[in-house]
Amino acid sequence: MKVIINSKEYQGLPGETLMELAKRNNVDIPNLCHKDGIEGQGRCRLCMVEVREGKKTKIVSSCVYPIRDGLEVVTNSEKIIAIRKNIILLLLLKTPNNDYIKSLAEEYGVKAPDRYVDYKVKENCILCGLCVKACEKMGTSAISLINRGTTKKVSTPYDDPSKDCIGCGACAEVCPTNAITMTDKNRIRTIWNKEFKLVKCSVCGKTFTTDEALQFIESKLGKKEERICDSCRKKIISEKFKESFKYF
Amino acid sequence: MAKGLVVSPDKCTGCRTCELACSYSKSDTFNPKDSAISVMFYEDVGLQVPMTCLQCDEPHCVKVCVVNALTKDEKTGVVNYDKEKCIGCKMCVSACPFGNMTYSIRLKEVIKCDLCKGDPQCVKSCNYGALQYKELDSTLDKRKIIANQFKEAFGEGAI
Ligand code: SF4
Ligand code: SF4
Ligand code: SF4
Repeated sequence: MKVIINSKEYQGLPGETLMELAKRNNVDIPNLCHKDGIEGQGRCRLCMVEVREGKKTKIVSSCVYPIRDGLEVVTNSEKIIAIRKNIILLLLLKTPNNDYIKSLAEEYGVKAPDRYVDYKVKENCILCGLCVKACEKMGTSAISLINRGTTKKVSTPYDDPSKDCIGCGACAEVCPTNAITMTDKNRIRTIWNKEFKLVKCSVCGKTFTTDEALQFIESKLGKKEERICDSCRKKIISEKFKESFKYF
Repeated sequence: MAKGLVVSPDKCTGCRTCELACSYSKSDTFNPKDSAISVMFYEDVGLQVPMTCLQCDEPHCVKVCVVNALTKDEKTGVVNYDKEKCIGCKMCVSACPFGNMTYSIRLKEVIKCDLCKGDPQCVKSCNYGALQYKELDSTLDKRKIIANQFKEAFGEGAI
């Protein structure tokens, strides 16, 4: 399958999206809501590109656009760059104090007119939905995008502690703008209004993860897990290794 | 037959150069914390034991990873890690029976030995022959020794 991106020819694989093809060939298409291993969402719209078919061109989100033989794509036309700048401007107005968005704006030379910016805004979430997708992947689906319009946000149902959350922190890790906080303090992990009593390692006594996370692992492995932290596991096995060498 | 890392604790001087070489290749810094290999010290018997991923045949880390960021390459035997796919759930860290998975909060990624795609930097950096990269001969396979020891310690189901 031949696809032309910015006048250069690339070999596409069946079932690939434009974004996947571009990434595989190191063609840069900016994006915020895309992550390998998670299906494209087409949400942030930053990955818009121009696709030519005959005489017509259309603008599509590359993360959800399946490639076809003979497709012609332009990733950096004036039109595309103008669209991207607009999207970044809107994000900047929504999260004017977020470092990541600020650096993105700088990269694209986007400046928000001061009189439109409310610098008191503490918001960091750009509603990209990656956290929701990551949680879905875990099979936990503890959080979702709720409400509409200006009150749209990510949260647990009714903002209550979710019975499904296992406190893994994947949502916080994938968030491009660091909008989610997870804290471990006094043996308690807090995330999305839920408090987890952290599990103590049965060898060293240090806390290391949540019991819910260990149950997740147990269900995947189909066996009971000792409550032993990774450092102690390593010590136990190297101790064994040492013992077998003492007599060499 | 697959090539692998063979560790000889009796030759290890405890200089920890392998840790630095590994962290440099994995994270561009010289920080043992970001190394996929760590040297354990046993002063009582005068032994140092470099420990790293055993590239298990039935890797627990692969089983718990929901996004296939960890995959077992049946040809090379290596358990590979794709940081682009990883969502940072850290399940692999707790699931590894040997504690060989580290999650770097700074890098937002797992630090794990992938044998440097066939060119292990730790082996290159070791001046004492304590680390060797070679065809795994089943009778000399140190990983099997460990695996057996581990079974003794934790029971059959452990690996
Ligand atoms: S910490 Fe809770 S909400 Fe976040 S990904 Fe894990 S299970 Fe989902
Ligand atoms: S919290 Fe982060 S990952 Fe979730 S929608 Fe908001 S910006 Fe995206
Ligand atoms: S931390 Fe990354 S590699 Fe480890 S289980 Fe989670 S997604 Fe997979």
